[in-house]
Amino acid sequence: MERDAAMKGALWVCERDIRKFVRQPTVMLSALLGPFLMLILLGSAFGGSITHVPIAVVRESDGPYSSAFLDIVREQQNCAFGGVNCGEAFRLTDVPSLDQAEEMLVQGRTKAVIYIPSGLDSGLSKLNNAIFTVYLDNTDPMSAAAVQAGLTRAATQLSTQVEIISAHDPSITLDTADFYRNVLYIEFMAPGSLVQAIFIASIIGGGISILFDKQRGILEGYLVTPLKQYEIVVGVLLAGVIKAMFSSLTMLFLAIVVAGVRPMADAAGFLLVIFTLFLTGLGLISMMTAFAVRAPAPEVYQFTSFPINLILYFTSGAIYPIDGFPDWMRQMATYNPEAYAVHALRLLMYKGASVGAVAGDLAFLAVFTGIMCVIATLAFKRAL
Amino acid sequence: MAAINSPTVEAKAGETSPRIEPPSDVAVQTIDITKRFGDLIAVNRINLTINNGEIFGLIGPNGAGKTTLIRMLTTVLPPTGGTAIIAGSDVRRNPTKVRQNIGVVSQAMTLDVELTAQENMELYAKYYDVPATVRCQRIKELLEVVGLADRADFTVGSYSGGMKRRLELVRSLVHRPKVLFLDEPTTGLDPQARVAVWDYLRKLHREENITIAITTHYLDEAEALCNRVAIVDYGKLMALGTPTELKRQVMGGDVVDAEFSSLPEEAFSVLKDSEFTIQIKRHGSTLTLLVKQGAEAVPNIIELVNRKGGRINSITFRQPTLDDVFLHFTGRSIREDTAITKKRFVSSWSAMRR
Repeated sequence: MERDAAMKGALWVCERDIRKFVRQPTVMLSALLGPFLMLILLGSAFGGSITHVPIAVVRESDGPYSSAFLDIVREQQNCAFGGVNCGEAFRLTDVPSLDQAEEMLVQGRTKAVIYIPSGLDSGLSKLNNAIFTVYLDNTDPMSAAAVQAGLTRAATQLSTQVEIISAHDPSITLDTADFYRNVLYIEFMAPGSLVQAIFIASIIGGGISILFDKQRGILEGYLVTPLKQYEIVVGVLLAGVIKAMFSSLTMLFLAIVVAGVRPMADAAGFLLVIFTLFLTGLGLISMMTAFAVRAPAPEVYQFTSFPINLILYFTSGAIYPIDGFPDWMRQMATYNPEAYAVHALRLLMYKGASVGAVAGDLAFLAVFTGIMCVIATLAFKRAL
Repeated sequence: MAAINSPTVEAKAGETSPRIEPPSDVAVQTIDITKRFGDLIAVNRINLTINNGEIFGLIGPNGAGKTTLIRMLTTVLPPTGGTAIIAGSDVRRNPTKVRQNIGVVSQAMTLDVELTAQENMELYAKYYDVPATVRCQRIKELLEVVGLADRADFTVGSYSGGMKRRLELVRSLVHRPKVLFLDEPTTGLDPQARVAVWDYLRKLHREENITIAITTHYLDEAEALCNRVAIVDYGKLMALGTPTELKRQVMGGDVVDAEFSSLPEEAFSVLKDSEFTIQIKRHGSTLTLLVKQGAEAVPNIIELVNRKGGRINSITFRQPTLDDVFLHFTGRSIREDTAITKKRFVSSWSAMRR
């Protein structure tokens, strides 16, 4: 019985893996739980605006200017980027003495203290410079930044009001034009979650199933059949990519339905998204397969694949822009295939980018995937 | 315990001088086949011939080299010296052709427990390129032979150990191989399941018209199934022949088993030197003696031992079995090694990381 077509064997090897996968969908779905929860919880926690920050106010001067200043602060609203989830930015409490305010700051009952020294109002009425002092709890950098930004805004607004007294209606406004629709933080995170779903699928569907097969002698069992070595490798990788695609597309579905992610890609863009996921999947599956078959012990593979996931995910720019990284992490990102995948997916999903815009990312991914395929093939042949 | 020199083996090895074109009634022929792992010689210039239609047993303790030999014959491992011709094809020159002509049931359970028996069979049929037109019929007929036809659509996870083994047996036959290799086919099965597997093996052998090569360390299994057996130890062929032949060659006498509550060293040496003893072996509190005449030797043994102050609890004599043949050729009882087999799953992992 001679083989009538090359690579047919790869299909059968792939069929076996996919049949096993379909028989136990819970395995992959439970593996998706981690990245999905990360998207929902991190996305919601970080994506919100900072509101209701408690501020203590110590007033030693009680005049129209300081009252106007505090009113401006009180009226401020903080919103998530894009003008959603708005809320009262600050909650002011009058405190009789600076000592008492300081104590509140130490105990964490307030995030900042506004000190209005005596003579402020009278000084301002003579158009002298006025200094409000703000003590910030800078152990909470995010609230501190929000307070600083809010109070600076209030001071600027107040100084225009002071000028109004003398000058004539300067009315300075800043007009911003949004180029794209406002993207929520959870949406910003979603491409990273798709890539993480691929990675988790390659840990489980690629590596671990191969470890089991190797341990149980199934890989050796292939060797007594007429299947060719390359057919086995291709079959295993093909099945791995299919599983990774299933995993990431399920994640995309969940992100749209549950997390409210609204990608704006057209049909061509969607195909490009799929292609990006495929390239990324093949590369990561090959990488993890090579690692799995050459790991000195199954435990080594199981224990190290999680840290590898952390490194790739957190340096990919999935949860924070790479521009904000320290230099060493930015360096890591330049070699991280997930960073290119996340970048490409973001452009495709939220900017409706065309092939040209993501060509560089795809080229990097293609090279990475090519190298990993070769490594996986060699590693696999040695293991067989 | 050094291996006992055996003139019989050398005579046999000389007989099977390398032939390039084996006659068509030969299913397997090995020619000086050798496997070295570094300094270790796992298989050392073994020459043997398995005829078409035979059930051939390869017996030996764990680590004797029989699994390595099977792995070379099934093209998993390349020999480092010599070669083997399987169903007319050379394992070194044409492994693909060999693979199409053989079926293999390995020691490890390699069924996919998540899939049904039918799916397991279908996938193997596809690996072997069995045409879709005959696939279904063939699978149905094989499952019927081993009594699994009504369970074809159950997942293999729901099968008992014996059923899994039976399924593995027929899975290796989907492509109508000429030679079937079985590595320890009944290890880990309970006695009833073992006997059932034997029955199915005989049935398949009859109906499929195939040659079967079995490795085993159960001597009763070899005796029950095999037309001829080869004893392998330290990578060498120690003896080859039908079970009856081997027993006759070695023995020419009876076996006495005696159990002692005390056996002074002096008594042992007197027994060893007495003229009726051909061979004597001691395992803990039991002695196995090979004697010329059982009926004559037993009273003599009792008297001798009593005189030297020993105490015998029980003594019997019997016709020799393959166990005794094994003991004779390898200098040890095969049972001493059976405990090691529990480690086989662990070792199969490390064996694969070469």
